[in-house]
Amino acid sequence: MSTGTAGRFQREELVGKYLTFALGNEEYSVPVLKVREIIKIMDITAVPQVPEYVKGVVNLRGKVIPVVDLRLKFGFPAADYTERTCIIVVEVALSTGARMMGIIVDHVSEVLNVTAEEIEQTPQFGDEIQTDYMKGIAKVRGQVKILLDLDRVLGVDGTIAMPQPSAA
Amino acid sequence: MTTRKTPAKTRKPAAKPKAAAKAKPTPKASAKPKAKAPIRKKARVNAKPEAPVVPVFDEPLASIVMPEPDLAPEPEVAAPFAPGPELAISDFVVDDDTELAVVQSDAELGNLFIAEALDHFGTIEAKLLELDERPEDTSLLNDIFRPFHTVKGNASALGIVSVERVAHKVENLLDLARSGRIQVGAEEVDLVLRGVDVLTLMINDVGHRLAGQPRKATGAEAVSLVQQVELLIAAQLEGGVSAPAPAPEPIEKDMPAVTPAGEDMPFEHDRRGATPSRRRDDMPALGGIATAIKVDTRKLDNIVDVVGELIVVQSLIAQDPALSALVDGRLARNMAQLRRLTADLQRNSMALRMVPIRQAFQKVARVVRDLSRKAGKPIDLVITGEDTELDRKMVEEITDPLMHMARNSVDHGIEPPDVREANGKPARATVSLSAYYQGSHVIIEVKDDGAGLNTQRILESARRKGLIAPDATPAPEDVHRLIFEPGFSTAAKVTEVSGRGVGMDVVRRNIESLRGRVDIRTEQGQGSTFLVRLPLTLAVLDGLLVRVGSERCVLPAAAVRESLRPKPEHVHFVQGQPRMIQVRESVLPLVSLGSVLGMGATALDPTAATVVVVEEGGSRIGLVVEELLHKQEVVVKSLGDSFASVRGVAGGAILGDGRIGLILDPHGIVTMVREGSRRAA
Repeated sequence: MSTGTAGRFQREELVGKYLTFALGNEEYSVPVLKVREIIKIMDITAVPQVPEYVKGVVNLRGKVIPVVDLRLKFGFPAADYTERTCIIVVEVALSTGARMMGIIVDHVSEVLNVTAEEIEQTPQFGDEIQTDYMKGIAKVRGQVKILLDLDRVLGVDGTIAMPQPSAA
Repeated sequence: MTTRKTPAKTRKPAAKPKAAAKAKPTPKASAKPKAKAPIRKKARVNAKPEAPVVPVFDEPLASIVMPEPDLAPEPEVAAPFAPGPELAISDFVVDDDTELAVVQSDAELGNLFIAEALDHFGTIEAKLLELDERPEDTSLLNDIFRPFHTVKGNASALGIVSVERVAHKVENLLDLARSGRIQVGAEEVDLVLRGVDVLTLMINDVGHRLAGQPRKATGAEAVSLVQQVELLIAAQLEGGVSAPAPAPEPIEKDMPAVTPAGEDMPFEHDRRGATPSRRRDDMPALGGIATAIKVDTRKLDNIVDVVGELIVVQSLIAQDPALSALVDGRLARNMAQLRRLTADLQRNSMALRMVPIRQAFQKVARVVRDLSRKAGKPIDLVITGEDTELDRKMVEEITDPLMHMARNSVDHGIEPPDVREANGKPARATVSLSAYYQGSHVIIEVKDDGAGLNTQRILESARRKGLIAPDATPAPEDVHRLIFEPGFSTAAKVTEVSGRGVGMDVVRRNIESLRGRVDIRTEQGQGSTFLVRLPLTLAVLDGLLVRVGSERCVLPAAAVRESLRPKPEHVHFVQGQPRMIQVRESVLPLVSLGSVLGMGATALDPTAATVVVVEEGGSRIGLVVEELLHKQEVVVKSLGDSFASVRGVAGGAILGDGRIGLILDPHGIVTMVREGSRRAA
């Protein structure tokens, strides 16, 4: 489980429907079954002492859910939020149980049916790029979609706060 | 019949565990499955509520209730009565395939059985403690017998034979007592209590086994219990009451001989000013609980969430400019009515989570009773305010700390009777447990009239451990607070040295995690009082809305002393920064809330902003905020584990416009400020 993609790549497991979305010019996707809803970008309450990619928390009909900007998480330059910017509310399995969480993406593209033939193992890029939150890639109609392992996007234990408060 | 000095007991190690167990799935056990099918339906009927009910007391409690298994067999008793050959450990250790088949096929059924049984045991235990006081009250015996019978019946229906066998034996004893053939005294109550303990262990163990964990060795305990029950029954039936089945009335006449007078009872569970007849009046209240239904707390939380949203939407509509432009009497009336109803709904949904603290107090009563007997220290336990209601979660979470404090009081606070008498105190000690409201808080007191803390010894011990500087001479109150310091209690010898302090840091931590506070008041020779202050609920908070940068934050109103716009001459600068503020006579540290939290350190001019004076743990600081908005009651939401390590923030609140405001944690902020200045020094 801890050795990234190598050794646990299970093509059959990955077959299914995916919601794809764009970050910059790249296409990512998450399993549709993990998606609870898609909402327009809204006011986010910032939480102090957390990494920059954690934008804060929002109120989703009475529930407080954390929101992560995937652009920042994956090292893209920050972009202004537009009409098309969305928060995809997903359910992630953390060591402490299932949690709802929002991810901010540039825009949502489509729902794709990914077949076994289209799925390939994530290539090793060397140590420059972290791949442990990629489950694999899918080549659909000549385009590459990265299949995300959402449970790992936030780190294994789901703790996103930095260990010590910023020096006051 | 006074304080029973229990002879030195040896703890029998749970000797031969599994090997013998596996060997023979007894004939009785294999006969069982036949009966299963039809009865199982009945169990289902019993087990009606559909939600997977979380066992009310799982391990933490269980492990605290029975931490000292020296309730184990008394060897000299076992000697004359040779255990019958039919009593083997293997009778009470049945392999999983035989007895867990039914519950394994339906995990929900199993969990329900466990939750229900543990619930029943809670009731039984409480009734037993009452019975201990009023052994003549036969209605109590019935109240004990009935739930016991239910547990046994359920175990039998589900085929959990080991539990059934043990329960059956204890039930026999209860039945004989009920029909007046044996007399009830402290010994019998003790034995049944032990039965409850053993069965709790066994039933919890069933849960563990269902979860795939290895079984615990409970067989030896079960055997020794059953043996003792048999012994007791035999002894009573032979030498005791000769009439086979006298009507219940005679017992009441007989009883006074067994327990002559109130003050001779080894343990008195007494409520000041409550006469016995009034206590019986309380019963209907207890009976009322029986009509309650069990609801998964997640469902309650969902209701609270949705109602919270309803309030937000209601106020958004009420304040909608388009609507307020309409001047219409009927609309206004209806809107007002809607507001009242939603507010009412919110209050009611909050109240769903409130339960009396009784359940926690019962656990403490049991601990005090057991310890009092074991230590040979006669104790009166006085309980007041057990009807005080607070959030169910709080009641659950506060039980362990309370038991810990009570144990500390009995173990270390209260002197042995001879010492007490030598010091001119009554030999019987008093421990009192009380709960009452104070504003939006509940105060729980655990008070003893024991020896009190020994300030000098704590000081010495703390110096030795390096908790304070060797030459420091803190005030006595500060010295006493040292027992809550983590480093203080770890050493094995501490109890001897300080008189108190086993794991008191854990107690403090648990209470603080409930947004509460624990203090200790002590007077040498007169006793000590633990004072626990808890919010009524973790769900609602009286808050003060402040603006920090672009965000709105909620400061708990309880921590805010005052707010002011300081005059320039009251702000004092250190190294070019406004660092202190004079509020009347005192000078307080002054910090910008935004920079403490790390929310964009804007350098604010205090004289153009607002200073909120926050008091926490006796120290006050001035927090500079952009603006003080207003006071508001907010519903507290957790930010989730993801933000567990964010300091100074206790949660989130949904504000009037549907956005989230961070709820600040004054204790965390004060600590951060203090650490900050220490780092700088």
